[in-house]
Amino acid sequence: MRSLVPFAAVTTLALAAAHATPTHAQEPEERKTGVARRDGRLLISLGLQDLFKAQDAQRLLSGFTSRVLVRVAVFRVDQPEPVAQSMRHTEIVYDLWDEKFRVRRFEAGGKMETRAAATAGEAIDLATALTAFPIAALDRLEPGITYRLSVRADLNPISQELLADVRRWLARPSPRSRMGSGESFFGSFVSVFVNPRIDESERQLHVVSQSWVEPAR
Amino acid sequence: MRSPTLFALLVLLPSVAQAQLSPAPVGSGAAQPDEFAPSYTIERIEVRGNHKTRTDLILREVALSPGDTVTADDARVERARLHLLTLGYFLDARLSMIKGERRGGAVLVIEVEERGTIILNAVYLGTSEATNVWGGLDVSERNLLGRGLTLGAGFVSSTRPQVEGAKPALAFALRMAGPPRPRGLLLSGSALFSQGSEFFRARGPASEPAPADFVAVNLRRAGGVLGVGAVLSRTAYLSAEGRFEAVHAELPTLLDRDLGQGQSQPIAFLVREGSSRLGSLALTLDFDSRSDPVLPRAGRHLVLSVEAATPACASQYTFVKVTAQGSLYFPLSVGHVFGVHGLLGGLVGDAPYFDRFFVGDLNLLLPPRAFGVNFSTQPSRDFLGTAVADHRYDKLAGRLLLEYAVPLWRRHGLFYRGDAFAAFGIFALTDPDDVSRHGASLGQRLPADLTADLGLRLDTYIGIFTLSVANALGRLPL
Repeated sequence: MRSLVPFAAVTTLALAAAHATPTHAQEPEERKTGVARRDGRLLISLGLQDLFKAQDAQRLLSGFTSRVLVRVAVFRVDQPEPVAQSMRHTEIVYDLWDEKFRVRRFEAGGKMETRAAATAGEAIDLATALTAFPIAALDRLEPGITYRLSVRADLNPISQELLADVRRWLARPSPRSRMGSGESFFGSFVSVFVNPRIDESERQLHVVSQSWVEPAR
Repeated sequence: MRSPTLFALLVLLPSVAQAQLSPAPVGSGAAQPDEFAPSYTIERIEVRGNHKTRTDLILREVALSPGDTVTADDARVERARLHLLTLGYFLDARLSMIKGERRGGAVLVIEVEERGTIILNAVYLGTSEATNVWGGLDVSERNLLGRGLTLGAGFVSSTRPQVEGAKPALAFALRMAGPPRPRGLLLSGSALFSQGSEFFRARGPASEPAPADFVAVNLRRAGGVLGVGAVLSRTAYLSAEGRFEAVHAELPTLLDRDLGQGQSQPIAFLVREGSSRLGSLALTLDFDSRSDPVLPRAGRHLVLSVEAATPACASQYTFVKVTAQGSLYFPLSVGHVFGVHGLLGGLVGDAPYFDRFFVGDLNLLLPPRAFGVNFSTQPSRDFLGTAVADHRYDKLAGRLLLEYAVPLWRRHGLFYRGDAFAAFGIFALTDPDDVSRHGASLGQRLPADLTADLGLRLDTYIGIFTLSVANALGRLPL
């Protein structure tokens, strides 16, 4: 059997595998998180300022709204389903003429507050620093059980609907000849780009907290 | 915590918070001005970073003009940025504002970072029992002269097939299309020249691919397609194409198939000898609600196509070909995806063989055609014991494929995303005469076979491609 295919296939598979990092191997960094209990609620304190890189801080001056979505979930370490979750959605706007930042934060339960910030750093802190941030009612946590937090922050998230639209626009432009199959012997190419900048958000940050054993009450 | 829990966190979190998110992420609707988000009147627009791409093309995509009022959270702005990125001309695109000359006024600044726009559409490379080697390439420039025009060209060439009377294959294709746009019409055109051979069995059992058992029809095709497409809705796309080809066929001297025991029958070459013309009009309706065109996680995709060739299109072949293809994708709990793919096709009339349903295009275990040229005499394996090995070009076709896909990685270097997939299915290929043949068994009336595929779908900086080992699997001796 004369065939170049197995060699080509194996070579390309090996190249792909060499570049591949399995999805489940991209484990989030563990980050020290303050955990407190007050008024029957579990509160956490955590800094996520590194969601922003230097160029992102500069882009806060663009005059257009920047958005930060922070999602937090509490898990028992031995179970995959979250015990409780919470979120904060923040909008940052720089007023070109007043030359100041406005920050609006929405939290789970419908709470909303608007703050002013003098600098980009202050606006970023308001969006990414969780200080005594309520996560769950304490009665949802069992004493003696080990828990952990998973936190994901997204800069400028895009709706799933728009994301799907965008990917379909990408698929359409390639003209295909009706006169012949475009398939190759060992595979097929589709003449579209999927730009890595078109993702669920411009940047994501995943961290997990240290684990803790919930004390008796 | 190196446990299944950690993996579950990443899988669960996005969906968990999506349901809770009361203020919608950008893009879910037009922004309403409020006290929080100031509004500005655009005094002028500056485009920066476009060394090749024309400024008017960028401004057309952005769809904002001087005099327009935009709010800081205007959904049109993010859409405009995404439109620019979907063109495929830019690595990045950013919109920002700087203070204008009068209070409340602003200058809209569009900064783009251009990228290479020559991409690889296909690589053709292979061997078969009949053809020692064939190879070719198909490439496109997607931003010709900075005007957003797509110009693509490809070729495939082969050694002389070992079938008596066959000639080496050589095919060229040229394609051109207007700028890709989510709104409005997309104009396209393509041209094809090909010459090569198709192989018809003259003797021997149907399951044998021996080239000595075949005779060759030498065919030359030259023609083109003009098309226009329109977006009907978020999920529907309609296109119309007109096609014309000049065909020249040389038939072999041997016109009958030796059936053994002194019996023979005329070979159906399915093409007019000498010169002929083929003209057709086609309509294609595309419903696409997939989450992604290449590595979908959910949604469905349905394509309905009707092509009619009539004397009114200056055609000497008269036929109507209808094809329906559908795919459904179901996300599974661990991030895997289950897909169901169906195809049904029917043809009425005297279509030339190259417009009929070809076994190599249905059976993933056989080499498919390149630019309409076939290089192989290999029949379908006939795992089900039907008469499928004797069927190559037919008028009726159907296929059902079940596919399981596993995401392998995301965002890593040159290979941006990758899925491993395995597919298994069944296809049938027959002719109305066979279906209605008296005294024939079900396997003769409805020849069917199993098919399978295994491979990777890769999403890379130079395009998206599928790497499959099905064809190699199909040639393993069992």
